[in-house]
Amino acid sequence: MASHLDSNVIPPSRQRETPRAGLTWIGQSMKRVEDPRILSGKGGYIDDVKVPGMAHAAMVSSPHAHARIVSIDTSKAEELPGVIGVYTGEDVATVVDPCPSFASPPVTQHAMAIDKVRHVGEVVAAVVAEDRYIAEDAAALIEVEWDVLPAMVDIEASLEAMGDGVLHPDDRESNKALDESFEFGPVSEDFDAADRIIKRRLRWNRSSAQAIETCGVISQWDAFKGGYTIHANTNFYNFIPFVIGGSLRVSPGEMRIIPVLTGGSFGSKVFIHKIIIMTSALSRLSGVPVKYIEDRLEHFTNSDSHGSDRLYDAELAINDDGTFKSLRFTVLDDYGAYLQFGVGTHGNAMAQVTGPYQIGSFGMRVIAVLTNKTQQGPYRGFGSEVTNWVMERMADAAAEELGRDPLELREQNMIQPDQFPYMIPTGNIYDSGNFQKVLGEAKSLFDLDAWRKKAADMRAEGRCVGIGVATCMERSVYGPTEWWSLNNKETPGFTLTSTPEGISARIDPSGKLFVTLHSPMVGNSPETVVTQILAERLTVAPEDVVINYSDSQSGFNGVGPQGSRFTAMVAGACVSAAIKLEERLKRFGAHMLQRRPEDMELRDGKVAVKGLKDQETSFADIALNSSFFRLSFPDGEEFDSGLETTAVYDHPLSTDPHEDREHLGIFYPIVGHICHIVAVEVDPGTGKVEMLDYAAVHDNGTIVNPRTLAGQVWGGTANGIGTTLSEQFNYDESGQFVNPNFAEFAMPTANEMPRNFKLGHVETPSPYTEYGIKGGGEGGRLGAPSALTSAVEDALQNYGVKISALPITPPVLRGLIREAEQAA
Amino acid sequence: MYETSYHRADSVADAASKIGDEGKYLAGGMTLLPTMKQRLAAPDTLVDLTHIGDLKGVSVNGKEVRIGAMTTHAEVNGDAALQSACPSLAKLAGGIGDPAVRHRGTIGGSIANHDPAADYPAAMLALNATIHTDSREISADDFFSGMFETALNEGEIVTAISFTAPDKGAYEKFRNPASRYAMAGVFVADHGGDVRVGVSGAYSNGASRNSEMETALSGNLSADALDGVAVDAGDMLSDIHGSSDYRAHLVKVMAKRAVAAM
Ligand SMILES: Cc1cc2nc3c(=O)[nH]c(=O)nc-3n(C[C@H](O)[C@H](O)[C@H](O)COP(=O)(O)OP(=O)(O)OC[C@H]3O[C@@H](n4cnc5c(N)ncnc54)[C@H](O)[C@@H]3O)c2cc1C
Repeated sequence: MASHLDSNVIPPSRQRETPRAGLTWIGQSMKRVEDPRILSGKGGYIDDVKVPGMAHAAMVSSPHAHARIVSIDTSKAEELPGVIGVYTGEDVATVVDPCPSFASPPVTQHAMAIDKVRHVGEVVAAVVAEDRYIAEDAAALIEVEWDVLPAMVDIEASLEAMGDGVLHPDDRESNKALDESFEFGPVSEDFDAADRIIKRRLRWNRSSAQAIETCGVISQWDAFKGGYTIHANTNFYNFIPFVIGGSLRVSPGEMRIIPVLTGGSFGSKVFIHKIIIMTSALSRLSGVPVKYIEDRLEHFTNSDSHGSDRLYDAELAINDDGTFKSLRFTVLDDYGAYLQFGVGTHGNAMAQVTGPYQIGSFGMRVIAVLTNKTQQGPYRGFGSEVTNWVMERMADAAAEELGRDPLELREQNMIQPDQFPYMIPTGNIYDSGNFQKVLGEAKSLFDLDAWRKKAADMRAEGRCVGIGVATCMERSVYGPTEWWSLNNKETPGFTLTSTPEGISARIDPSGKLFVTLHSPMVGNSPETVVTQILAERLTVAPEDVVINYSDSQSGFNGVGPQGSRFTAMVAGACVSAAIKLEERLKRFGAHMLQRRPEDMELRDGKVAVKGLKDQETSFADIALNSSFFRLSFPDGEEFDSGLETTAVYDHPLSTDPHEDREHLGIFYPIVGHICHIVAVEVDPGTGKVEMLDYAAVHDNGTIVNPRTLAGQVWGGTANGIGTTLSEQFNYDESGQFVNPNFAEFAMPTANEMPRNFKLGHVETPSPYTEYGIKGGGEGGRLGAPSALTSAVEDALQNYGVKISALPITPPVLRGLIREAEQAA
Repeated sequence: MYETSYHRADSVADAASKIGDEGKYLAGGMTLLPTMKQRLAAPDTLVDLTHIGDLKGVSVNGKEVRIGAMTTHAEVNGDAALQSACPSLAKLAGGIGDPAVRHRGTIGGSIANHDPAADYPAAMLALNATIHTDSREISADDFFSGMFETALNEGEIVTAISFTAPDKGAYEKFRNPASRYAMAGVFVADHGGDVRVGVSGAYSNGASRNSEMETALSGNLSADALDGVAVDAGDMLSDIHGSSDYRAHLVKVMAKRAVAAM
């Protein structure tokens, strides 16, 4: 039967290192090589960096959600001793152009507001001074006169706004930034033919990661060379010059971005382009290097990294026998005041929108709404955490309406192990998996049967105890078509299709393997995994691997840690580099042993004659000879001195979106699978949720380092717990951001983590990546919200409470319980 | 933080002589220093009470308890004599903030500050405590006069608190999920059949007693006795963490749990 997916042909695998048992370093819980310097305070974060002659910036931010700037009086600030300069948005605009926007058509955003502010916290003026104290004092002396405009806070109301309620009247007539509809496969036919349609309205509210370290930049304009030297904690330093060169009016090569150790990102530091542009403008205007580190309030209100904020009207078409047929929804997303990357977070969700289930078609209308809030940015899950939750809510709703066991219904619809690679209706593929095995492991790790009985007994005693199970996808290794595939087809914007990752590697004459990475460390474990993979492939000892980082002028293709891509991608670069080094090692080594290269093999950091014990020479000897003793080797460039190489690995498996968007192509194919099972008890008197037991089983393919992967799962689960139970950014009717601090924003601490978190793994290797590695950086947050929501609903079954919005804070749950009590 | 000068006092009299019009006493600094860092407070002088030995320590004499103002939460929590004379107060102190806060924060600082969400004020009311200052004695009922307000005069120093241990007492609180302060903290104390109920976290005028609950419990110290008591939401705080209705409900739930725990 012809299908809309016929044109989406799966390319052949480019895997070179097959997954296999008996590896030496891959799979070891090696201690992180990054840790000693970080734990001893020697890591070097952005705020530790000092540049000679450096001045400090402090900002004046908008107290209003929406207002015209009538005037800015900087005179008193300028008079304060120690102030070097005071600059407004108009001053900044004399040296930089608006921020880049992946949205198409773009929504204009200035790094520092001009004429109008569109959210609380938007910067309107800056002071550059000898130290931050003086800068702050001077900033407090700046007087701004405002003409307050109506604030748009509610998604649905903002869509209706007119006149002064329109945020960007010069760009668009309404606050609707994008409205696109898609049908992947025979959606209408499937809905018409289905026995039932399950409908739910589901609300996911905004929060953000709030890493310990805020974003920061030191920028120095070089008037002689006409470029910038920039220290910044961006995740993206080899890529961001190409994104912001236009804004800074320099060519990408005229920017030298030097990475620093980053104190947590979780997506929030992927770009940080706005403050790089702003700080660079301040340096150019003031003529001195300028440091700007966001304070916590600025990080909450102005760092453009708020997470998804969505309202779904979802429908699942099913048959009475439980078969899932088709899924469709309309989603409104409150993107805040700007739209830096269009609806990329919805593009991302298209990678796995139908979950682990066999669902033949999928339809969507996505509407991006502009409101007077901080704009959205990346946050662990990048939009897929929401669709995972929607899919799992719909699966639970279907089970409830059919009177079926929710777990059994899921199993009935799951993709079977022999169906991979499996193409979902949007065109993305799931490369491999064994969802049944993951579920089986999770059930036994949790002892589900025993717990179900125990929970029933506890409920019989009047306690509100319940169990929730989520079976979710964890797409990894992103391809960049997600940024634009949902844009208007006529103006798709920047149609990027490449996300390469590279390394440089050199064996120096002492025998050490020096490796340069082109992506920063953001709290993940890039040095550890690269050490393990190269130790594996080249048979060197991990302690002989030394890792460094390039800057953007010495570096090349690196896209960095995002989209759960880094380990799988850098593994590809490591294998490519190792292949090239191996060839040279064997060539030189064979000559030294008077053998042929094809007779040689790598053995424990040596080049050795295959099968012969003592016929070998160490990498160090080869490196020494090849570096310093050219005349010992034959003529010809293949014996040029030195042992070094560079290597770039391209995305292992991607295809273009269909021209008419009948499908979106393959863009996020390396999929992991997760099953979270949690038992909770709700205190009906207060609405508080306590986790009694928690099991998580993740399949991330071949595991490079179980310890570092466990850290990712733990952390992601903590994020997911926060999202589900406590975290929400509250805006009042006037657009005031009510809780931008940790006394008011309820981020979970160790106290709120489950006491007995059990973690298990299944390893279904990818047939497409080196060694079968899959990404695993987001899974916790991709699974925990669904499992916890189900568990809470199960715990409150005696009240008949249904959960359709997150977070379920104590007063929210208490309110639902009270309504149920009053109805009874 | 704005510039300030620092004076380490060696006696109560020394402290009182240095405070001036714009100065502030520094106890644990757990509240004062963050507000100074945020520039919400800008005293010209900090007079540090930490080194005045007279202000520290717990003494228990039969049922009579006296706690110096500069005694930390951790010391109150760990005091063996107090644990047997009034275990509910020792336990309360062990539930304040986190270990760092408990090792710096003091009982004097807490009550002088009268954060409406702080734990000690509820206990002071329920225990019918006396607040001793460098110039007088004030009953807890008269001391807590409104949110972040007390009966203290400018420059007056809390030196100690004292009370007669109740026959029984218990404190139950519901923590604010963000700040972990009390959203409703209820201290119930039975003084020979005369029951006092102090409430923190919920009332918009700060720590308060609930007389309806006291009446209901005075004849009948059981959780059921509170069933008929209506807590008026009109007097309650309302914010993103909970409406006044929710807080009123929590006060009753916590009161019942406290009684059940006695
Ligand atoms: C993270 C965190 C969590 C917390 N959680 C809780 C909690 O759960 N429950 C709770 O109750 N509290 C909590 N607190 C507050 C803590 O208990 C503080 O220690 C207390 O509020 C103030 O005590 P302090 O000794 O630190 O006083 P300081 O901060 O030094 O002083 C506070 C105020 O009292 C004045 N003052 C201090 N001592 C005297 C005195 N002897 N006479 C007159 N005036 C005086 C000072 O001038 C100042 O105005 C928390 C604090 C933090 C930082």
